[in-house]
Amino acid sequence: MPPERSGIADYSAHLLPALAERIDVQVVRRGRTRSVRGTDLALYHVGNNPDAHGWIVEALRKRPGVVVLHDFVLHHLVAGLTIGRRDGHGYLDAMEREGGVVGRLLAHGVLDKRIPPLWESRPEDYHLAGEVLGLATGLIVHSRYVEERARAAGYEGPVWRVSHPAWEHAPVEPARLEGSPLIGSFGNLNASKRIPQLLEAFARLRRSRPEARLLLVGAVSPGFDLDRRLQRLGLSEEGILREEYVEEERLWALMAACDFCVNLRSPTMGETSGSVIRQLSLGKPVVVSGVGWFAELPDAVALKVPVGAGETEALHAALELLARDDAARRAMSAAALDLVRREHDLGRVADLYAAALEQAAGGEAVADAVLGDVARAAADVGIEPGSPEAAELARRLAEVELGR
Amino acid sequence: MRIAVCAPQVPFVRGGAEIFADTLVDELRARDHEAELVTVPFKWYPGTRVLDQAFLWRLLDLTESDGRPIDLAVATKFPSYCVRHPNKRVWVLHQFRQAYELDQTELGQFSEEPADRALRRSVQRLDRIALGEARRLFATSRNVADRIERSTGLQAEVMPHPPQELPYRNDGYGDFVLSVNRLDRAKRIDLLLEAAALDPALRIVVTGDGPDRERLERLAHERGLDGRAAFTGRIGEDELASLYARCLAVYYAPVDEDFGMVPYEAFLSEKPVLTTHDAGGPLEVVTDGRTGLVTAPEAGELARAAGRLREHPDEARAFGLAGRELAARVTWDACIERLLA
Repeated sequence: MPPERSGIADYSAHLLPALAERIDVQVVRRGRTRSVRGTDLALYHVGNNPDAHGWIVEALRKRPGVVVLHDFVLHHLVAGLTIGRRDGHGYLDAMEREGGVVGRLLAHGVLDKRIPPLWESRPEDYHLAGEVLGLATGLIVHSRYVEERARAAGYEGPVWRVSHPAWEHAPVEPARLEGSPLIGSFGNLNASKRIPQLLEAFARLRRSRPEARLLLVGAVSPGFDLDRRLQRLGLSEEGILREEYVEEERLWALMAACDFCVNLRSPTMGETSGSVIRQLSLGKPVVVSGVGWFAELPDAVALKVPVGAGETEALHAALELLARDDAARRAMSAAALDLVRREHDLGRVADLYAAALEQAAGGEAVADAVLGDVARAAADVGIEPGSPEAAELARRLAEVELGR
Repeated sequence: MRIAVCAPQVPFVRGGAEIFADTLVDELRARDHEAELVTVPFKWYPGTRVLDQAFLWRLLDLTESDGRPIDLAVATKFPSYCVRHPNKRVWVLHQFRQAYELDQTELGQFSEEPADRALRRSVQRLDRIALGEARRLFATSRNVADRIERSTGLQAEVMPHPPQELPYRNDGYGDFVLSVNRLDRAKRIDLLLEAAALDPALRIVVTGDGPDRERLERLAHERGLDGRAAFTGRIGEDELASLYARCLAVYYAPVDEDFGMVPYEAFLSEKPVLTTHDAGGPLEVVTDGRTGLVTAPEAGELARAAGRLREHPDEARAFGLAGRELAARVTWDACIERLLA
């Protein structure tokens, strides 16, 4: 929760009042890992930041509960909880659990600094979500992508897919910025946000549209040499508008000023982008990478750029299309507002949360009772466990999700 | 076509839903379809009984009967729409309202215990699955369609159904307000009794039977309505038609009702309907000052509305005639054509 500065803290603070209108909620303060007396269920928000979420995983270890899996790939979190606490063996064990002997050998390579950190170089191959999944009695996820990854990792518990809530915002006065079109990019500037590809595609766009401007809002990640790249592409003098950290109000004003926004990502940790949700709630067309949650956005609101070969060309084509076609931008804008109203409405999201949590808290008792009744009735008429008739009963129960 | 009309049966209870299912079968047969009513007893308490009983529908095989295929299954009310059929059409009269808008009201069924909360969610999930399987999904009113959309995300086509066949007629505008309802709390007959208690000139006739009858009769007695409030119990079709024909107006104000045939029956007798702002489905046809009077759910306002009609029978007649025009548009021909299309 705030004052921590993270997307998940913002998310939690945004959701909490609406959730508290529907169910009794007690917020556990940072650092407390003992369970709270009198509660029916514990809910854990788990993301990839070891500083913000380490203590939450420790609490989860003490009392399993429902996990909101904000990222699927938790390698960075696990590395922080092990290597970051001088527990190299813990990291070796985590990698071995997930990757077998090869995983353990790779982990040795990381510890000995012989290979680059795997959470940067191969996060999708070694997600290290196993421990959290093993402790979760249910999962709340924001995307089909994370649900499928969790299932592929062997998770068999209940999974509820709940959209990221949109923010209700007062009418926003757009910042006064030049650019025709003005293209926005919000978030840290680094390779995984595909900033090199964006800069290159934008440089091409500028050749045919010298009035175009690219607004880059966010801090430059360590090791990412933005200035050199801008210089090489001839963008250092003009064409780029820069702001580093901005307050929420300024953020909205900057987004509102843009004609459309670009949100690229690869590799993905399975995360959802609060920034994209904000942009959609302002009716901004978006260009995204065709990966993870981003790929699940309806085509009506997002142009999706494939990662890898041809990425820059496809991105340039997307920028050109949106720069050229006012009607397409208007249609995407209307579709974005409609999507936010339908799928990302805070009340709807809170309803889905309440439904998930109520099922998680009492669902097992309900399933036991129904299965017990059906089993007794079946036994009364001579249906034996393991018989084809019993299998048919189980199949019918599963069809309507009354089984296990 | 061979058509199975599926409806739950609460033994010894008969109301609008039962009349609807029987009539649908008759109307299908009248159009040369082979139609049969398929019914399973329904008991929704205690605990998870509601799910057990819903599951019974899931075990039925209605794909064929006696070696011949059943072309279509038309389900009506929870939990009959849990039935499996490759050509399932659902014409929703009611979801299990205790799991929705009646929850946490005095008409609700589920407590605050985790198991009860989860049970309610299981009913909602079951609805999502069972209604989602329907090849076509109809709702008997906009109120029901909106509730389905809110609770399941599914979109239903609104298709009201005609009321039961009665020898409808108009024998003038008498001095009593008629209530036609099963007597349970959700139908809010007590509001009409309280209104009568405030207006010594107001006479009422309460038809129907149900679990709330004893309390209502006691209330009428306590309010000194003996002689002005008559409880007829369950009555036959002719007697009902006669009451419709003679009354001043018809009272129909359940809490957030799904649909309700009563306003249509009143209209076919050219009678206005008295209802309340929170009555739900009836408000789709009862328009204040056009086909009836719509008041706040308060006895005083209701008494004033009844008094207005008593003092202005020309208004009562005009509202009733406007209602008849509206009710005449809802026909079985049109409904069945859409249902089978």
